[in-house]
Amino acid sequence: MAAHQEEGADVSLFEAIDVSVSYGAVKALDGVSISLEPGIVHGVIGPNGAGKSTFIDGLSGRTRLTGGRVMLDGENVTARRPAWRRHRGISRSFQRTSVFPAMTVGDQFDMVADRMNEEDLDGIVDALQLRGVLAQVCSEIAYGTQRSVDLALALIGRPRVVLLDEPCAGLVADEGVTMLNHIRTLCKERDVAAILVEHDVDGVFRTCDEVTVLDLGRILVSGKPGDVRKDERVIRAYLGSAG
Amino acid sequence: MSRSSRSCYGARWASPGSGSEVSDTDLRPISLDALAGAAAPRLNRRTALIAGAGAALVLGAGLLMPVVVRGASAFGLIFDAVMFAFLTMSIAFLVRHLGIVSLGHTAFFGGSAYTVAIATTVGGMGMIPAAALGLLVGVVLAVLMGAIVVRASGMTFMMLTLALGQAVYQVVVLQIARPWTGASDGTSLSYIAGDSFFGVPPDQVVNPVGFWPVVWIVFVLSIVALWFVGRMKFGRVLQGIRENEERMRFSGYDTVRPRFLAFVVSGTVASIGGVLFALNASYVSPELLSFFRSGDALIATLLGGTGLLVGPVVGALIYMILLSTLNSTGNLQLYLGAALVIVLAFLPTGVTGAIVTGVKRLWRRIRRKGPM
Repeated sequence: MAAHQEEGADVSLFEAIDVSVSYGAVKALDGVSISLEPGIVHGVIGPNGAGKSTFIDGLSGRTRLTGGRVMLDGENVTARRPAWRRHRGISRSFQRTSVFPAMTVGDQFDMVADRMNEEDLDGIVDALQLRGVLAQVCSEIAYGTQRSVDLALALIGRPRVVLLDEPCAGLVADEGVTMLNHIRTLCKERDVAAILVEHDVDGVFRTCDEVTVLDLGRILVSGKPGDVRKDERVIRAYLGSAG
Repeated sequence: MSRSSRSCYGARWASPGSGSEVSDTDLRPISLDALAGAAAPRLNRRTALIAGAGAALVLGAGLLMPVVVRGASAFGLIFDAVMFAFLTMSIAFLVRHLGIVSLGHTAFFGGSAYTVAIATTVGGMGMIPAAALGLLVGVVLAVLMGAIVVRASGMTFMMLTLALGQAVYQVVVLQIARPWTGASDGTSLSYIAGDSFFGVPPDQVVNPVGFWPVVWIVFVLSIVALWFVGRMKFGRVLQGIRENEERMRFSGYDTVRPRFLAFVVSGTVASIGGVLFALNASYVSPELLSFFRSGDALIATLLGGTGLLVGPVVGALIYMILLSTLNSTGNLQLYLGAALVIVLAFLPTGVTGAIVTGVKRLWRRIRRKGPM
């Protein structure tokens, strides 16, 4: 359960060590550590205000850490800019859909693929079932499809680590299930390490290989879905309150 | 050229209806997004050829302008509009591609004009070296200002460019600068007898009809250059930055350098205009650098519309017509303001945007009725 403390010795693909983010006196994240391996989907759940999105922001370089380190292949990348991280294989999606609204879907894929030297754009497009909307302007397609575009943008260029901030936010149940299936399949196929922050607890338990529960900026429990689901602290702090 | 047209997905994915520059996304309420251009069609060999042929045609036809437009005042008006259009075009370039409004472009137009004047008087230079120096100073000013304002956007960008542009004005009107700039009086150029500017002698350079071929060729080349930059991959990167800068950064793009380059390109076009203006007017005054000049340039840009490349050119022409017809009343600013309010309220995409939308609607109606 507390295994994350002793993993500094062997080099993980991607590691967050003792990561903290404070906004003034408020500690949004307080000493969170996590370690990712290729092909493993790591779910992060927790009640509102647990620091889930801050965690993604901190790891992706959107928010400056007030403490701790982010390591890629054992290299400290804490001070690197988002664009630099992206070229080294750390990618992310956004909770609030972040696409290029006035561009066609195809054009924005082409633009990012051009920068990231993606050769198998068709593979991503087909995996996310986006071929039908390529010629459409992004703001004119359905919201659920825009979420897929957001995810596709994060997957272009063969990233090694993807940080997914509530990819199912705003989706209806069916769409959410499809989205999580897509994510799992793509991570397995492409050997991508993923952090999946999500509100849908059942979805996370179904999709992820490992699960970390955050509460008030700290790790409550971390481990296999089956173990975490049974953990009393989790039931008390989170699942209980959710019914 | 072939590099940018051979992107593996662009051609296949180009939407069939992407032939025109203003789309319906331009019809939102008044905002910079509405003023900025819609998705630009990608550059391929066919569009490049059509554009090249179009530019050659415009170039040739324009050279006949002095023959067609006989009246000295009417021709002078067109000439002034083209000069002014260098400024409006460069401002519109930034609005269209990055959604930012510069109030500092007078610094490049006026700065290069002043440099030409000083180079011919204090420096005793001929027209071509003076023009080269003027252009260089204009570009250097654009680089310096660009380095400062490149990270700003929206209101901050506007205020920073305004402040820096006005700083240039203040330097020019300093009493210490009087031997060079003439301070608030301005200064005249001096021409060397027998000198020539690409074959045009001084007495023809100061004559709009005589100078017209040079001005028109440079003008058309500038438009073509801006068109080309907008159609290159670079143009698409600018569009990405305009629409979602954060996502661009998280997609591996550096967003500062493209903004900076766009600013310098835009400043260069304004500087070219300043050089030609000074050579022709043979006199430069601080009015070139004033706040009113930037304001008028912006008004003309918005009147014409920024969605189309020719929008700011049309805007400059409308401005000059208003100037010549309404200035005698002494209430020019009043009418200009009223014209701007009317345009922004009813034609947010400017006069050219409204025309394009109208033509499109008409076309759709005709097509719908056609089969019946």
